[in-house]
Amino acid sequence: MQGGPQAYAAFYLTGKRAGGELDAIDGLNLRPALFAAYRDLTKLRYDFPLVLLGTGAGEASVQSLSGLFDTALHEIAQGGDGERLKRHALRLEQEIRTLAAEGAGGTLSALSEVAASRLTTKKDDLLRDSLTRIRAVLKADGELVDCDQGMPVRFLKHVWQTVQGKKSRMFRAELNRLAVKLSDILKAAFVRSEEGRSAASLKASIGPAHEGVFDFNAMSRLLGKAAGKDSLSESRRQRIRWLLSVLQSQKFFPRSDGAGKAGEAAAPYSFVFASCAAALEAYRARQPKMVELAKAIAIAELEIEGEYHEARHDSFFADFGTNGLDPRDTALFPDYLVSLNAAEMTPVETSKLAEVLAAGLPMKILVQSDDILEPSPTGDGHPTFGSRGRLIASSMMGSGEVYVLQSSASNLLRFRDRVLSGLAYNGPALFSVFSGATGNAGDLPAYLMAAAAMESRAFPTFVYDPSAGPDWASRFHLEDNPQPELDWPVHSLAFEDEAHQRVPERLAFTLVDFLACDRRLAKDFARVPRAEWNGHMVPVPECLAHAPNGLPEKLPSLFMVDRDNVLQKVIVGSTLVREARRCADMWRSLQELGGIHNSHAERLLAKERAAWQEQQKREAEARGSAPAQAKETPAAVPGAPAPAPAPTPQQAEAEAERPSDEPYIETPRCNSCNECTQINNKMFAYNKDKQAYIVDPAAGTYRQLVEAAESCQVSIIHPGKPRNPNEAGIEELIARAEPFL
Amino acid sequence: MTIAATECLLRMYDEHYELEDYQSGVPRWCTGCGDNAILTAVQRLCRDEDLRPEKTVFVSGIGCSSRFPHYMKTYGFHGIHGRALPVAEGVKMARPDLHVFVNTGDGDCCSIGAAHWIHAIRYNMNMTVMLHDNQIYGLTKKQASPTSPIGLKSNTTPRGAYLEALNPLTVTLGVQNASFVAQAVDWIPEVLYDIIKAAFHHKGLSFVRIIQRCPEWLPDLLDPWLHDPQRVLLLNHEQGLHLSPAIAKVYKTQEQHDPANLNRAREIASTLDPIPVGILYRNPDVPCYEELRKSAQLRSSELIKAGLEKEFDKFTVWPQKTEKRVASTPSSVHAS
Repeated sequence: MQGGPQAYAAFYLTGKRAGGELDAIDGLNLRPALFAAYRDLTKLRYDFPLVLLGTGAGEASVQSLSGLFDTALHEIAQGGDGERLKRHALRLEQEIRTLAAEGAGGTLSALSEVAASRLTTKKDDLLRDSLTRIRAVLKADGELVDCDQGMPVRFLKHVWQTVQGKKSRMFRAELNRLAVKLSDILKAAFVRSEEGRSAASLKASIGPAHEGVFDFNAMSRLLGKAAGKDSLSESRRQRIRWLLSVLQSQKFFPRSDGAGKAGEAAAPYSFVFASCAAALEAYRARQPKMVELAKAIAIAELEIEGEYHEARHDSFFADFGTNGLDPRDTALFPDYLVSLNAAEMTPVETSKLAEVLAAGLPMKILVQSDDILEPSPTGDGHPTFGSRGRLIASSMMGSGEVYVLQSSASNLLRFRDRVLSGLAYNGPALFSVFSGATGNAGDLPAYLMAAAAMESRAFPTFVYDPSAGPDWASRFHLEDNPQPELDWPVHSLAFEDEAHQRVPERLAFTLVDFLACDRRLAKDFARVPRAEWNGHMVPVPECLAHAPNGLPEKLPSLFMVDRDNVLQKVIVGSTLVREARRCADMWRSLQELGGIHNSHAERLLAKERAAWQEQQKREAEARGSAPAQAKETPAAVPGAPAPAPAPTPQQAEAEAERPSDEPYIETPRCNSCNECTQINNKMFAYNKDKQAYIVDPAAGTYRQLVEAAESCQVSIIHPGKPRNPNEAGIEELIARAEPFL
Repeated sequence: MTIAATECLLRMYDEHYELEDYQSGVPRWCTGCGDNAILTAVQRLCRDEDLRPEKTVFVSGIGCSSRFPHYMKTYGFHGIHGRALPVAEGVKMARPDLHVFVNTGDGDCCSIGAAHWIHAIRYNMNMTVMLHDNQIYGLTKKQASPTSPIGLKSNTTPRGAYLEALNPLTVTLGVQNASFVAQAVDWIPEVLYDIIKAAFHHKGLSFVRIIQRCPEWLPDLLDPWLHDPQRVLLLNHEQGLHLSPAIAKVYKTQEQHDPANLNRAREIASTLDPIPVGILYRNPDVPCYEELRKSAQLRSSELIKAGLEKEFDKFTVWPQKTEKRVASTPSSVHAS
């Protein structure tokens, strides 16, 4: 094998560069061709750096620098000098971005001051004016964070604090309310007690200014006479005191007055941990306190309503919380935040993590991967593709009650609301984040590595939200990946050829592009001299489409650019192609979960379509052979009498003639005016809705029936026929009853 | 925020009440009085909704109707003439957890209390207002009220009333923020109950005008309507009243009226004959004053004391000379 295609094939199969036609790419500083436009990130307006806004920002507590500038510009860049302001604002923004990229930490206001002073070295009054005005409307302030290794932890912690802050405010308000109401019970009891009515305490309650005006002894005597008998029982007093002490000594949330009073050990618990083991231990240790506090709140609520009954509730509360708290109650307490780094996780830690998540404990866990291409521990040379995070994430989705979010750092801002809902989710949540800070990517910034991992499906983003609905379709979201319906996202790239003509090209960004960014894998790539660019090389996706056996006819290659943005072509070793195939497989199974090209659905669709076509065919045939039987559903047989509708019960009831010789009342129309019951309450009475009916027609005379009918305000009493024909004046009564029959 | 167990425990021992649990004494209204029908309907509502007597309050002004709180075994406030609504508003403001009902008469509400009526509608606080409209001052023995029909002879109008009667429905519907307006008559108890129930469930001020007979002073006034079911216009709608088959059969004059339609509601409100009965207007989106003004601040005794001190300080006169020293060294006040 010498030179030409043989040498290329040899490289493809063995990774050996023979002949010297192929160049190693180690020193060439190549990057995927699609990255050509992202040479200098500080010149671009994109999601980073972020600003972690202070309290009061509510749900949008993390914003991008460019977003804040846009808002500010929207506010001021209106008039004739709008264009100038815009231009200067963008310069300021770029300067701040450069500072952040250089690693300068600090708040937005501090950095913008530095940036402004850097810009205004020359005397330029207009620029000075613009910058002053822009900085005046940039009201929101907070720490500036660029996309680096520490960003995911800071991001998550900041959003977590936002969620906890809200929880804390609600909880504290409730505790304060309960404490005031409970103290009110004690106060009221004191005021009514003998001691409270004593001359001395009455005097103390008036104050020194007017105490000479009153005779407190007489007042005390008078109040003593009018006092009620009921006083606070000792057991209730004890209980309320106990409640107050539990409510006021809790350590789950900071006290409203900031630091606790001197002498009291009121420093609140910390809920931020660096390992699941520590978080779990703390959770177990605090569990009894948590149950006690929940119990105290429940009892306090009942006490305040005056609904606590010792006979009913004592035994219930004695066992309160022995089987753990109701998840709704647990949700009132702070969530634990655990930040882990996938590379440093011990097997013990991994099992603790699984334990925490499986038990549904209120913990929010960040698993950060910095390097998803580290060699697999089995030593077979495969990269792991962040398998630790990925495995935990996928197994936890199976458990069904863990909120799972996987995202590369570059996408976190766009996932802010999802992160927020994961942190607000009532149960455990797992956030698997790839920071992009691999340390093996040469001069490529972490942001680009993170974005490349997501583009190339090496680290796809997804969300599994158990609270979103009952099924996978509503819980699982994959659509935040670029072009999720494809195997690899496709982008257009235009370059200039030798004849200085613009050549548009559609390029897929595959796993191999991502791998090409990693210096450790440089040995699997080889640059092809320009003269040898020919039809023997095809893009990686095309190569993947063929069966993986033996030596392919055409070798996989990809475009890269060097430091001067000159297009280069490199061919790829077979091991990486194999990895790309594996990665695509994993991506496809994820797609299926996300309902994209779902095999079950597609099979069902095919089956139904076949059945439908079969039916269409049969119907067509039937029409063709027997046109006379076109009418499928025969109409009603003519001549047959339509069935009479059955009378509804109400109609039947209404139509049933009442025997007119029995007296009755149309009870539902009675308006409870007491006329008839006052005539004879043995004969007329009220039902449970206080509407009159005739209890016993024999309990009175016919005369009473007729009089009641006459006096009834709504004329609903029907006296019927007389029972006793010998009653005095019966003739006249029958005549009077006539209108009411 | 509440602990899940509390709710369970409260529900587990939730008490159920009978009509008798809400009855207090024998009403001293005249035999045959329409107030009895309203009392029965309200007691049925309390029972069916299991309203806890200690969480329910009836507020009234002065008049026959305003004896209502005496006959309910709940909290009650028999107020002063025309001021039932302001008292009820105060109750609701301080205790938004209570169910507040107001019983007022045509004199109480539409004459001396007319200003409070207008503003109560605008405030739209969550309560149920029943206007017992018998079109006469009954307690003081037959004087014309604002809703007495023109030509009515009474002790104050011996030659007949000179003015057209005031229409409480059109007035209410003309006030900004009206959120629930209905009309009932005492002689169709089933519909009366349904309307009061709908009013109770409405969040906001629900105004129910109940046309009632006065058997003592105007025994025949409403007879033409009482005895001819076709002279009652029953309003029904998917979003309003659902009529039972028995009622629908007797009262054949009906109209499908969407309570969201304010303009049509105003037209119907102006109809005097047939008497419209049903829910004329309902808008659940009008904000309630007690919620608009709800303070996030906990009303602890310290807060109240601080607020009072601040108010008193506005009227405190400090001696001119010591003013500066008070500001710098408070202890020097005692020394001087």
